[in-house]
Amino acid sequence: MGGEADRRSGVSFTVRDASRLGFDYIKRRMQRAAIVMASIALAIAFLSSLMMTDLFYRVYSRLSGASLSVETYQYWLVFVALIVSVVGITNAMLIAVYERYREIGTMKCLGALDAHIVMLFLVEAIIQGLIGGAVGFLLGVLTGLLSAGFTTGFDIILKVPVLDLIGYMIGSVALSIGLSAVATLYPAWRAARLNPVEALRFEL
Amino acid sequence: MSFDSIIELEDLARFYDMGGDTVKALDGIDLKIGRGEYVSIVGPSGSGKTTLFNLVGGLDRPTRGRVYIDGIDISKLDAYELAWLRCRRIGYIFQTFNLIQVLNALENVALPTVFAGVPRDEGLKKAEKLLQSVGLGERLHHRPTELSAGQQQRVAIARALANDPTIILADEPTGNLDLNTGTEIIDLLHGLNKKGGLTLVAATHDLKMIKASDRIVWMRDGRIEKIERG
Repeated sequence: MGGEADRRSGVSFTVRDASRLGFDYIKRRMQRAAIVMASIALAIAFLSSLMMTDLFYRVYSRLSGASLSVETYQYWLVFVALIVSVVGITNAMLIAVYERYREIGTMKCLGALDAHIVMLFLVEAIIQGLIGGAVGFLLGVLTGLLSAGFTTGFDIILKVPVLDLIGYMIGSVALSIGLSAVATLYPAWRAARLNPVEALRFEL
Repeated sequence: MSFDSIIELEDLARFYDMGGDTVKALDGIDLKIGRGEYVSIVGPSGSGKTTLFNLVGGLDRPTRGRVYIDGIDISKLDAYELAWLRCRRIGYIFQTFNLIQVLNALENVALPTVFAGVPRDEGLKKAEKLLQSVGLGERLHHRPTELSAGQQQRVAIARALANDPTIILADEPTGNLDLNTGTEIIDLLHGLNKKGGLTLVAATHDLKMIKASDRIVWMRDGRIEKIERG
């Protein structure tokens, strides 16, 4: 058996390894990933559509001197939608953990540490958050434009400061990734804590 | 002649608490397994075979007693060192193959090399060689669902060999296979043991497997009933 130093440098699993495996899981289990991504995309679409409408109204108000604004209660609705989406992702990821009980046990037999299992699930969550957030933002801009456009005229999109638009995009995608990761923390922790002995005996 | 043992079990016991009752899955096992030996563990279900495997593989901790792998008391190892042991020293083969469904044969075999920190290209190259050596050179990019049971077990054997372990633990490796496929798998394992010098410990009901082994350990109710020469 190798020396202490050998044992210390023995096991590894990089973010790149985790990403590769995470992508494989998303590709091969597209249905579940699609549901997660749709859930986050809808919530983000709701949020960014509201933010866009607000932005369009502000630009329009400045240009035309009219006074249009988004109601505060609508932001509360967005808040609720985001919470619902987080709960939905947690649920879907818990199911993913159950589906993979045995595979997680096997990976532990092959030398995976608890931290590696957490990383694998978090990477998946981040990929899903990224895609869901980007799709959601695009949907949000479109619906925001549709809802504001009839009041302000559709050429409003050309008058919006590009920096604001980019800022909103980055914000939406970052929020989406953050929420997806937070929602996955508990399922990932559950997966990592799995006793490999029980996991290998598990029949779904 | 001195006996060069690679696995040593000393008064090994594992009790489970089942709703107030203590179940003695293992109760006082003493056993030495030599380097390069092929040992079959035989006994009715519930006799403690799987518990024994889990303890030897560092997957579970004993209630009492010690497990030495290469002279090292594995109860003294922390989680990281145990992971290292599982990764580099021990290869597992399961009754249900336990391949990762989203990965193809090549990637499945290369997975342990990822945990061992081997560069990806090198790991894949090694995986290809191993798959060729188990007769699956033509099936590298098939996923587990596209392989027969026997082929899946071959992939699992190749995976168990990925980090050049010194010990192979096989839990009913032929339990889910038909007679002919089972025989092929036994021949494969036997060859690894005899030609590769790997220590092979197999829990089994399979008479053919038992016959091929150097020693047979009969277990009953968490104890060793008798040990026979094969």
